[in-house]
Amino acid sequence: MNCETCQLKELVVEPPEIREVLRCILHTILFHRALGLVRPKDVECELFDITYVQCEDHELEKKIDEKINQFIGWVEKHPNRKSQVCISFYEVKNKHATWFGNKIERFYWEQWYINLHIISPKPHGKSHNTKAHVVTGENAFEESNSRCAALESSLREVLFQIIKFVNEKKDHIPPLQNSEIVSYPYEISTPR
Amino acid sequence: MATSPSHSSPESAIIEQVITEFFAKSLHIILESRSPYVSSRNYTVDQFMSSPSSSCSSSSSMPRDKWFNLALRDCPAALENFDIWRKSNLEPLVIDIILIRRALVPDVARPLGGCLLRNFSENSDLALEPKSWKIVERWIVQYERHKSSSSKNHKDIRKCGTKNNGGSSCSSETAFYKKTYKRYIILFRSLYVFIRLLPTYKLFHELNSSGQICPLSLSHRISSSIQPFTQEDEAKMNQFTFVPIDTPRGRLSLSVQYLRTLEDIRSEPSAPLSLQFILDYIGSPTTDPFRRLKSLPSAQSSPALVSFTRQHSWSNDHGALASVPLCPSVACSEACGIRCNPSLCLPPLTHRNDHSPPVISEPQNAAVTHKNNMSFDEFWPSPFSPTSSPSSPAHLPGQRSPNALQSGSSQIDIAKAHPITASQTKACSSEGKLQIKMDTLRYGNYQTGPTLVKGFPSGKDDTEKLAELPSSSTQGPLSRSFSGSSLLDKFDDSGFACPFADYKDVTESCNRRSPDAVVGAVVQMLLTAAPLRQDLSNLCRPPQVFMDESLNPCVQHDQANTEQSECPASTSEVLASVLLKSKTAAEGLEELRRYKELKESILKQGASRSSDVDSGPKSAGTNDQS
Repeated sequence: MNCETCQLKELVVEPPEIREVLRCILHTILFHRALGLVRPKDVECELFDITYVQCEDHELEKKIDEKINQFIGWVEKHPNRKSQVCISFYEVKNKHATWFGNKIERFYWEQWYINLHIISPKPHGKSHNTKAHVVTGENAFEESNSRCAALESSLREVLFQIIKFVNEKKDHIPPLQNSEIVSYPYEISTPR
Repeated sequence: MATSPSHSSPESAIIEQVITEFFAKSLHIILESRSPYVSSRNYTVDQFMSSPSSSCSSSSSMPRDKWFNLALRDCPAALENFDIWRKSNLEPLVIDIILIRRALVPDVARPLGGCLLRNFSENSDLALEPKSWKIVERWIVQYERHKSSSSKNHKDIRKCGTKNNGGSSCSSETAFYKKTYKRYIILFRSLYVFIRLLPTYKLFHELNSSGQICPLSLSHRISSSIQPFTQEDEAKMNQFTFVPIDTPRGRLSLSVQYLRTLEDIRSEPSAPLSLQFILDYIGSPTTDPFRRLKSLPSAQSSPALVSFTRQHSWSNDHGALASVPLCPSVACSEACGIRCNPSLCLPPLTHRNDHSPPVISEPQNAAVTHKNNMSFDEFWPSPFSPTSSPSSPAHLPGQRSPNALQSGSSQIDIAKAHPITASQTKACSSEGKLQIKMDTLRYGNYQTGPTLVKGFPSGKDDTEKLAELPSSSTQGPLSRSFSGSSLLDKFDDSGFACPFADYKDVTESCNRRSPDAVVGAVVQMLLTAAPLRQDLSNLCRPPQVFMDESLNPCVQHDQANTEQSECPASTSEVLASVLLKSKTAAEGLEELRRYKELKESILKQGASRSSDVDSGPKSAGTNDQS
């Protein structure tokens, strides 16, 4: 079975935006891979004018939030760096019983790479001149707004990219073994 | 060997059921996020009941909304439309999402995105009439049947049958269905996410959450035929096609054409002309009254009826003519006129104790103002006036000025107009002016009571009178007092020497008062009018000085005659007594003329006496000169 890989478009984000961006992307991916019976839940982004969809599953939300917190902790220690968050779907096969224990093999059939470029917010330039300081502040505000708008547009592109990928690639998806399970087994990997 | 499928076989029924539910689910997801007020979001009750239908096979035990593992709430609009459509399964399902822009017409007053719309008249309302519409999205769901039986799908079906060792086509189709079911699931997941990323969803969300009536609205149209767009429209649209899903005998496809942006449509100016006036008016209750009055059009502009009619609402006795009040408050009660600055509506100078209709004895401009004053008298309301007065000049031929609106709007310009009348009243004493101010406040701010006392120094009488006023505001906001004082300040700042200066515009604008109020105002004006005697005293000053010792001015004479029992201690009391005995201007002039004649006669007498003494030598001199 082939492992399909999708490299999502790189997003330039600031630390306060990491949580919202990752939530949007991870939930969108999982909603397309939680093929069990779900009741969709619309979520309005707080920072962006985007509505994404969650599977109304508390365990899923909890696990995602834990991984996001883990990633944010790593970013705080390694600021201003490019990083990746990877979500992989696998199926468990061939439980080999060995002398040392049961060996569980995972066959990854799909991997998503969320590319983030973490930047630190630009501090306001210190200036003794009041007017210059005001101008600098205004420029920084406009620059921040434009950057935020660009990020929203990029995030929307990423979501469209996900939709396009899941529509085009379907043959590699393993059959549904149990409809009671919400989602295929998955794991979220963050830098260490 | 491929066998032709039988529609009566249960497996085929399953495929047909899947196709039917595919259309239903597509319609459900689309309308749920595009049809405001009928979306399932507005329904709190979860209903997971499958709707009974004739084509619903007994083998389908799965509720409709749980089809394809996507549990959706019941959407009545979708189900209703689907029940109408489902009669022809093989025809495409075309769902047009239409953006409708409506215009507001005078029918129903409703809030509009923050702008408060008022009734245009007492009996008319505002309504939304469709003005323009545009298709912003077109969803096409269709099932295409394969013409050839030897298709890839049949090979796949045979494979499934072989795998399952069933051999029959029915079991192979079932296996094929199970294999492809996850494709349906993924497709609808994608559809659910994708539809929320389109530009129309934002508008839908705003309309669904605002709860207010907006000129923009979303509607939908379901048909089975595809009407092509124009080239211009297609150029503005994007297209997205979901990967089709093969069925044993055909293919299910779902595609959408949507406008890239709705900003150009939403930003199109569609507000009617009347709305512009309403915006000006809406700001008026809390804004400066002068600002509001400035923005008001002339009486001839018919669409601008909101503010005019509002005044009409409290001055219903005065016919259809609308006039702009001097008071900015929206919630004018019957005492609205009281809140107006009466200084604007004061009549020309008249005798205080002359209760008869004022005689036109003033100069020409004053006559004009007096003429208007007659109409003013008719309509000026006053809380202090008797309810009915036989002497009230209600029958006076006061003319309703066609420029009442302009006069009201020119409240600020009163100071600029009629300089002659302003010069006449320059001699208003400070006490008189103070009296006027007090009355102004009394009219405009009687409801605030003590605040009036605080602002201005006054004599005992005025203080007592003010103390009689209610101590708390019984009607309207405190801002009225500020508006009144602000009006007064405006006049002071503009060099308006005396509120008596101009009456024409003021009286015309006050034509809406009730007769009682008008009479009361007239009485008040008479009481507070500056004494005419003052002007005469000014004019008589040179001869008065000359004749002071010999003849004594009539003031002293009047004082001696009428104020023997009184000993006025202050100048104001002297003037008051003089006022009581003051004569008309004509009489004064007549007196002046007599005094002049007397003076000339005295001078002649003096000259003649001197000439008689020097008549001899002078006459010789005169002869030599000739």
